[in-house]
Amino acid sequence: MGREVSESCVESLLTEMVSSYCNQFYANKPELAARRIEAIGYDVGHRLSERYTMERPRFSDHLEAIKFICKDFWSELFKKQIDNLKTNHRGTFVLQDNRFRWLSRMSIDPSPENTGLSQDSSVALAENKATQATNMYLYFPCGIIRGALSNLGIPCAVSADISNLPACSFVVRIKA
Amino acid sequence: MANYLAQFQTIKNACDHLVIAVEDVSDLWPTVKNGFEERLPFKRACLNNKTRNPVFVEKLPAEFILTTDSRLRSRFPQEQLLFWFREPYATVVLVTCEDLDEFKTILKPRLKLIVQNDEREWFIVFVSRAHPSNDQATKMAKKVYAKLEVDFSSKKRERCCKLDIHGPEANFWEDLESKIMESIKNTLDRRVQFYEDEIRKLSEQRLMPIWNFCNFFILKESLAFMFEIAHLHEDSLREYDELELCYLETVNVAGKQRDFGGTDRGADQAALLNPGNKPLTQIVQDDSFREFEFRQYLFACQSKLLFKLNRPFEVASRGYSFVISFSKALALHESIFPFCMREVWVITACLALINATASHYNGLVSPDIEKEFYRLQGDLYSLCRVKFMRLAYLIGYGTDIERSPVNSASLSMLPWPKPAVWPSVPSDASSEVFVKEKMILQETARAKHFAIQRKPLPLEPSVLLREANRRRASLSAGNMFEVFEGRPSFIDGSGSDISSRVSPSPKVHGISMSRTNSSPMNFESSIDRPMRLAEIYVAAEHAMQHTISDPDLWKSLSSVKEFEQKYLELTKGAADNYHRSWWKRHGVVLDGEIAAVCFRNGNYDLAAKSYEKVCALYAGEGWQDLLAEVLPNLAECQKILNDQAGYLSSCVRLLSLDKGLFLTKERQAFQSEVVRLAHSEMKHPVPLDVSSLITFSGNPGPPLELCDGDPGTLSVTVWSGFPDDITLESLSLTLIATYNADEGVKALRCSSATILKPGRNTITLALPPQKPGSYVLGVLTGQIGHLRFRSHSFSKGGPADTDDLMSYEKPTRPILKVFKPRPLVDLAAAISSALLMNEPQWVGIIVRPVNYSLKGAVLHIDTGPGLKIKESHVIEMESYANVSQSTMDMANCNGAENNGTLAVSGEFKQLTLQDGRIELPEWASDMTSVLWVPIRAINDSLARGTSSVAPRRQSIVDGMRTIAMKLEFGVYHNQTFERTIAVHFTDPFHVSTRVADKCNDGTLLLQVILHSQVKATLTIYDAWLDLQDGFVHTRQGDGRPTSGFFPLVISPTSRAGILFSICLGKTIAEDEVKAQHPVHPDSILNIRYGIAGDRTIGAHTPMVVESTKPNGTTQDLIFRSALVLQRPVLDPCLAVGFLPLPSGDLRVGQLVTMKWRVERLKDFENEVSQNNDEVLYEVNANSENWMIAGRKRGHVSVSTKQGSRIVISILCVPLVAGYVRPPQLGLPNVDEANISCNPAGPHLVCVLPPALSSSFCIPA
Amino acid sequence: MIVCVAVVGHQNNPLYIQSFTEADDALKLHHIVHCSLDVVDERVNNPKKAGPTLNETFLGLLYPTENYKVYGYLTNTKVKFILVTTDLDVRDADVRNFFRRFHAAYVDAVSNPFHVPGKKITSRTFAERVSTIVKSFGLSSAG
Repeated sequence: MGREVSESCVESLLTEMVSSYCNQFYANKPELAARRIEAIGYDVGHRLSERYTMERPRFSDHLEAIKFICKDFWSELFKKQIDNLKTNHRGTFVLQDNRFRWLSRMSIDPSPENTGLSQDSSVALAENKATQATNMYLYFPCGIIRGALSNLGIPCAVSADISNLPACSFVVRIKA
Repeated sequence: MANYLAQFQTIKNACDHLVIAVEDVSDLWPTVKNGFEERLPFKRACLNNKTRNPVFVEKLPAEFILTTDSRLRSRFPQEQLLFWFREPYATVVLVTCEDLDEFKTILKPRLKLIVQNDEREWFIVFVSRAHPSNDQATKMAKKVYAKLEVDFSSKKRERCCKLDIHGPEANFWEDLESKIMESIKNTLDRRVQFYEDEIRKLSEQRLMPIWNFCNFFILKESLAFMFEIAHLHEDSLREYDELELCYLETVNVAGKQRDFGGTDRGADQAALLNPGNKPLTQIVQDDSFREFEFRQYLFACQSKLLFKLNRPFEVASRGYSFVISFSKALALHESIFPFCMREVWVITACLALINATASHYNGLVSPDIEKEFYRLQGDLYSLCRVKFMRLAYLIGYGTDIERSPVNSASLSMLPWPKPAVWPSVPSDASSEVFVKEKMILQETARAKHFAIQRKPLPLEPSVLLREANRRRASLSAGNMFEVFEGRPSFIDGSGSDISSRVSPSPKVHGISMSRTNSSPMNFESSIDRPMRLAEIYVAAEHAMQHTISDPDLWKSLSSVKEFEQKYLELTKGAADNYHRSWWKRHGVVLDGEIAAVCFRNGNYDLAAKSYEKVCALYAGEGWQDLLAEVLPNLAECQKILNDQAGYLSSCVRLLSLDKGLFLTKERQAFQSEVVRLAHSEMKHPVPLDVSSLITFSGNPGPPLELCDGDPGTLSVTVWSGFPDDITLESLSLTLIATYNADEGVKALRCSSATILKPGRNTITLALPPQKPGSYVLGVLTGQIGHLRFRSHSFSKGGPADTDDLMSYEKPTRPILKVFKPRPLVDLAAAISSALLMNEPQWVGIIVRPVNYSLKGAVLHIDTGPGLKIKESHVIEMESYANVSQSTMDMANCNGAENNGTLAVSGEFKQLTLQDGRIELPEWASDMTSVLWVPIRAINDSLARGTSSVAPRRQSIVDGMRTIAMKLEFGVYHNQTFERTIAVHFTDPFHVSTRVADKCNDGTLLLQVILHSQVKATLTIYDAWLDLQDGFVHTRQGDGRPTSGFFPLVISPTSRAGILFSICLGKTIAEDEVKAQHPVHPDSILNIRYGIAGDRTIGAHTPMVVESTKPNGTTQDLIFRSALVLQRPVLDPCLAVGFLPLPSGDLRVGQLVTMKWRVERLKDFENEVSQNNDEVLYEVNANSENWMIAGRKRGHVSVSTKQGSRIVISILCVPLVAGYVRPPQLGLPNVDEANISCNPAGPHLVCVLPPALSSSFCIPA
Repeated sequence: MIVCVAVVGHQNNPLYIQSFTEADDALKLHHIVHCSLDVVDERVNNPKKAGPTLNETFLGLLYPTENYKVYGYLTNTKVKFILVTTDLDVRDADVRNFFRRFHAAYVDAVSNPFHVPGKKITSRTFAERVSTIVKSFGLSSAG
């Protein structure tokens, strides 16, 4: 029904957005950039949830909604479902995607092999910076999830963390 | 079979409980009657329902009837079948007998006879009259009973029980009851079985022509009734439901249209709750059930059962849908009914349902059912209300009905009644017509408040006048259309203004006449011309009077007052019930209707309250269109109640609604109201919240940035929702510090009255100095007239927050940033090297703004002691850039004299100093610049030369002068910067002397060494030496140096020497010294020199004071320095000799004894002096180099004889390594001229650094 | 005929309300739509009543009044669609179909990045689409 765009376009758009927010608009305050990107994601998710919930009965509880996110919503977005869903049954859900599409083409430059007290710190630092950079790219999907859920009447906070690329897990905390 | 109906109903009404027959064989009944009957009604009967499931019935009523009773006379069999429910359910046979023979011979055959009729349920009660004392009799009774049992009881069924009248009857009654129950149950089962079979048979042939609903009905209802009297209400209800279903299916099919019924008197009053309203005989006529009555009858039966089952809720719900569906049915047959019959029926039905259900309702149900119940009540009420309004409208009370959305929604979509012929005016009604006319003329559409122009909402599906006339002239409606052509007033919904125009114009008349002529049927004359509205009203009234049989209902339509009362009652009922249900909105909206009535009756307080609720509802959910309808009413109430606060806020709310909802004129009216009130004296002035109306935001772009303590001006965008300009007497805005909480809110006020245009305004506010931090906009407050208002909301219209839409929590943008204190400017001395003492010099002060504007800055200069600013001279200023540049090319032409460099870079600004203040020029406000201040250091002490051997002890302080500076800057000179800079001054030269050579003819060559002290090239043009007395120049000359090689150029910080040849001269005795030219204690070296320097480097040519010679050629300067020349010793009396130090060199920190030998060279004759053999000595040493142990000063005795000598030794420790002057022994009492020293001049000794002591190397 | 269609936001605020009567009495339709929210709330708040159509987006007939019918539709995002019609025999299928198409139109409208979620729908294309859907009401599922 809806028109489609090539995946590469979307990805480059994402990269472009992140870079322009981080390096141009809010170069000096990353937290603000993060908020903006998250907000854009929120908006997108908000609208997408309208579309993708169209032909289905209303969700009776949170879990259903989350499942919807994991299955249909995700496969609409990424042509695959969330690989693993965990919950503590008290409003926290962990959605793990073992190969998150938007990270699949992302690489952290390999840390130098030589080990030494001096090197070590620099390596750690480099990795640290790298993860920070990657996280910037995760605010958008986080926002999408949050937008979708809150449009489904589930106010929540979504955070993401990357254990090892391109696996990525999103943590959804539902605000009681 | 229909002829049984009457009987059937009477029977039904007659018996309402089941019957138990008593066959009193040996008439015992009178004796046992009471015992039996006090068992009634049976508690906890257990019966089978239709599905053969046991059902427990509490309190099953029953009656014992003797078989001899007339009521049990045998009837015709088919009759029995029909009314089987009333036949006995059990037969109790009462017998007694005393002896076996009698039993065998008489009783047994008789009993056999009785019980042979098998479809009866029977059992035998044997009553023994035997008295327990009379055991013979009791034995006999037992025997007989045993026999009885043998004969009548069987394995499967126990049919006997025994009652001892006198004996204990412990378990008899239970036995009896159980037996009765058993029988009843069996009977019931059998009969149910029977009925069902019958019914099945009938329903099978349901579609055949012979099918007769009547039979079906009787059977079905009999069954139902049987269940009912057996208190199996559920089953009974089911039967009725099935019956209804079947009826609707079979009877109501098209094609076999029958008499619908409902035409007879009183039918208008709904009878849907009492079954006995009409005898069935009337309901059923020639085998056809008149739907009107019959369906009501069925519903009545059902509801009766439902009430018995205590389910008023179900009655209500079934009832509502029944009313709806039935009203549809009525609509189909409306033509046969009297005028408005349908409406009336609905009204009465609803009322009946409401009353019945409400009275039966006891809130013993689950909450959601309860809510549901109240909702249904509300529905019934409002349905009733609608119909009632319709009736009222038809008879002309329409103008008293609020043309509100709710009324419009219900009435304008409700079709007009469609009677066969529209009622016409009775002949004698002219007076009433007149009354109505008057009423119509009198009433005026109530003008809305604020002169709001609104097209009133319609209360009618189509204009009544037109409808009525059209339906009267049922043939050719077309003509009537023509009649009403060119009358737009008919189209719009307001019935009020029609009457004025409706007086039949000739045109109308003509047409209608022609139509009547052409039409086949002839109407009576009144129809010829279209009726006027008043006539329609009257006609309707009369018609209704015939329709309505319920006096109360008619009463409530009899007058406007009555109508209003009823209307109010219904509305209240609906509202209250809705409030108790889920349907809050319905409730609130109806409250609004109540409010309207209250308003009309002048009960403004109540009206206001209700309107408040309605407005709250609409506002809360943002239904502005609806709100716009109600809010003006509320405002009006508040105005009348003189609730100024409320009124104001209402006006504001009106203003802040969508612009499209009101005309500009109206919105202006709101504003003028606000302004009027604001300027009037309010008793209790309340702050008005205009957040919805006046919004504000900071200007887009980066926030305003200020330095700590700086004031500024903040410009804010304010959006005004007022339709016109509005004058704000005052306006102030608070800033909230985002970070530091201690910094509370700061209010900025824009003192002057501001005028807000509609839409966007930009307002600038003066910003007093703020604490460091970043600030966001707080709340906007101000005054309109005497009225204080406040607005909390940031601008929605503002462009600032376009991208805040997407992050839904709005980040409040900082509007102002105040930085932490930081250096804003720096003052420093431009030069580090020394300037010329006692000469007017330029001192350079670098003024460096640290990216902060020095606009209009003022510099206060205050010179310390020994320093004067040459007021006479102007102060120069230039940008620092070309200073540095000039210093550069100064460097290139190394020290060569070009003092023109600065003059070349011509951008000096000449400033003048007024009482120590300088105003910095505009151009210097943002760039680093140098200020050249002409100063002069004063030092009147004469410079002293030193001898070369004694290195001159230079103290920094004596050349040092200070300049205290205070810079006032900042926008309002609120910033200050203070600094005291030190400037170093010095003489051009330092002079030291040494005796270069001593010729044997006594000529001394005196070498004068000139150290240049300044970073400038000095040129010596001339130098002469005024000798102290005791010395004379060898050549009787002017004291010029031996060789004149002037001018002598001394480059910066280099040295030059001059030779003088002098020799000793005789000293002049004191007295003539007095007489002659003043003697100078020491000789003076005079140097005439010039200086070529650059002020950017240091010492330079003193600036020329204007008066002196033009074109700043360097004028010569004179430098004078005092020299001390020592006369050689002429007649030594004492000799002081420094004894050579002991072998082994001096080391730092090593004790050493210094020895001097003092020896008299000649006898000492001097009478005057006493204790003459005493010599005072003094050891003076440089304390930095030596530590002296022992006495530095003291007396030693040396005999006055020539050659007497003594050695003075001092213990001392050298402190520094290197060549140092050893301590010196001086004899203060003795004139220097009489001491010959050896060595003559000062000498140096070598002190070694401390030897490494082992303790340093090896750790002990 | 359909006299009014409306979109009501999840805070029961009107997002779009369009009446198709020639007379300018839209206000009464506003009222009807607004009051019908009561029924929607009722249905949602005690699901027991919703019965078989539990959590189905199509809420069916909200108002059994004599002279008009109100149908409701509740999306997953708590947005309500209300349909007011005056013809009294309406096939459920038609209404369902109508709502499905209407929903599609709505989704496209809110997917427009210039539409602010939760604010009124002002898109003209949406209005046009709606009117076409309304015109074709009843005809579509005839086949």
